[in-house]
Amino acid sequence: MSTNPASGPESIDSFFSRHQFLIYRLFSLSGLIPVGAFLVVHLLTNASVLFGPESFQSRVDLIHSLQPILPFVEWAFIFLPMLFHASVGFAIIAGGLPNVGSYPYVGNVRYTLQRATGMIAFAFILWHVWQLHSLGKSFGGGAFKPEQATSTAATAIQSAPVAILYAIGVLSAVFHFANGLWTLGITWGIWTSPAAMRRANWVSIVVGVALAAAGLGGLAGMLTTDVDEAERIESKLHPKNDAAAQDGR
Amino acid sequence: MIRAVETDVAATDADSSVAVKTIRVRVLRQDAPGRESYWERHDVPYEPNMNIISVLQKIAAKATSADGRAVPPVAWDCSCLEEVCGSCTMLVNGRTRMACSALVDKLLVENADEIVIEPMTKFPVVRDLVVDRRRLFRSLERVKAWVPVDGSYDQGPGPRISPKEQEDAYPLSTCISCGCCLEACPQFTKIEVIRRDDESQEEFDARRKAAFDKGFLGAHAISQAMLFNAHPTGGMIADERLKAVTSQGGIQMCGNAQNCVAVCPKQIPLTRSIARAGRAATLWAIKRLFDR
Ligand code: SF4
Ligand code: SF4
Ligand code: FES
Repeated sequence: MSTNPASGPESIDSFFSRHQFLIYRLFSLSGLIPVGAFLVVHLLTNASVLFGPESFQSRVDLIHSLQPILPFVEWAFIFLPMLFHASVGFAIIAGGLPNVGSYPYVGNVRYTLQRATGMIAFAFILWHVWQLHSLGKSFGGGAFKPEQATSTAATAIQSAPVAILYAIGVLSAVFHFANGLWTLGITWGIWTSPAAMRRANWVSIVVGVALAAAGLGGLAGMLTTDVDEAERIESKLHPKNDAAAQDGR
Repeated sequence: MIRAVETDVAATDADSSVAVKTIRVRVLRQDAPGRESYWERHDVPYEPNMNIISVLQKIAAKATSADGRAVPPVAWDCSCLEEVCGSCTMLVNGRTRMACSALVDKLLVENADEIVIEPMTKFPVVRDLVVDRRRLFRSLERVKAWVPVDGSYDQGPGPRISPKEQEDAYPLSTCISCGCCLEACPQFTKIEVIRRDDESQEEFDARRKAAFDKGFLGAHAISQAMLFNAHPTGGMIADERLKAVTSQGGIQMCGNAQNCVAVCPKQIPLTRSIARAGRAATLWAIKRLFDR
């Protein structure tokens, strides 16, 4: 099958058709590694704020010690896989025809929720990256400062509507990941019998509840943070930075 | 459940000995392929132990709608009347079922006011409740759902199959090609190809087949592929089946909604077949990667 350069769009279409299986399997895998794995690390890191600003700051410092190559790591292991997962995901959603109304079975409800939470999580992540990540700076966002991790994150989130949207976004992402874990096992043929699927379901429930607790814990930690106190601690941990901030004022 | 209805009927009889209980039926009709569909109401006198086929027979015999108009009899498919031939699939009260085993007494317990009958939505309507399920059979062709034994010479007796394997395979072999699993599947969407005026029958058939071959195979075909791959002689072309199962419209299209297994009238363990096909596809893909 040689490609005919004259038929551009058609050959792209036929590329996707011929490799549909591979693309969908990469889609499935990318949901676990690296996107899902990143979600787990991120939520556990957030939850460390429950042990105080020092604890959260030290984890953020650890991540930012990668600094020179951090953007590369972010794009290669987080943003690009996430964009890939999302674009295939949207194509899948467009091809399906949810029918929970006629067939309100648990599996079907989960199928529909998987799609809904995927879309919510995607919208949430776009907003979240704009709001806190340095990428958002040129668009009026990017409020998070790695040297003042707790205080800047807490300031951004400490308003009721923002906190509620964060809770919805985090819970959507967690459901999508935990339920996706279960379907991934069926897709790859890891659990095949109904009994094995039921056992695997318990595993995904436990993972989901634990991650939801971590996610909401982190959120609660941010909401109950005393920002002034956190700033004091941060300036002790990063005195240089604080001086720079003072100079700027 | 049936007892509840009988007492209900007895009560009606006691109320007035002349009144006959009627069942209100609403049918979604369509006069020809590609035409607009429309609802039509029918009143059918109640009898105990009716199924949807007998309701349709009464509607056909009366050929008069509930508002008194003479109407052409509703068309439908059926044959065995015992949930074996798979030809009478339709939507009854919004859910895909076999009309022959859809019992009116049970349906009236679900909803006493009305019985709603519609054609399947995932296949092109031929007329009224008759649909064209060619694609279902094309899927079986795509996965070569048979044991290849055709040849010009006697190939001798087949290998023995252990009772354990037989037990595993038997449920899968009970598929009646009814299409309930496809109708309920959110990932299986309708493909309707309309013949163009300037097109020969052969050209149209080829175009339709090409359209089918891009679409999702469906749970029934994936399950049949697993059935024949597990068979010692059928398994001789296991790779060809896995190639079909992992080509465009293959197993990757399944979204694990598991509706198929919930609606299959034969209670075939379809999700087990799908997961096994997923496992076989994983191993096959890895093998192909290294054997290239
Ligand atoms: S499990 Fe797959 S084949 Fe069965 S209904 Fe769901 S999407 Fe369709
Ligand atoms: S698998 Fe079940 S629902 Fe699907 S065609 Fe066969 S008998 Fe019907
Ligand atoms: S008439 Fe054969 S299955 Fe219903």
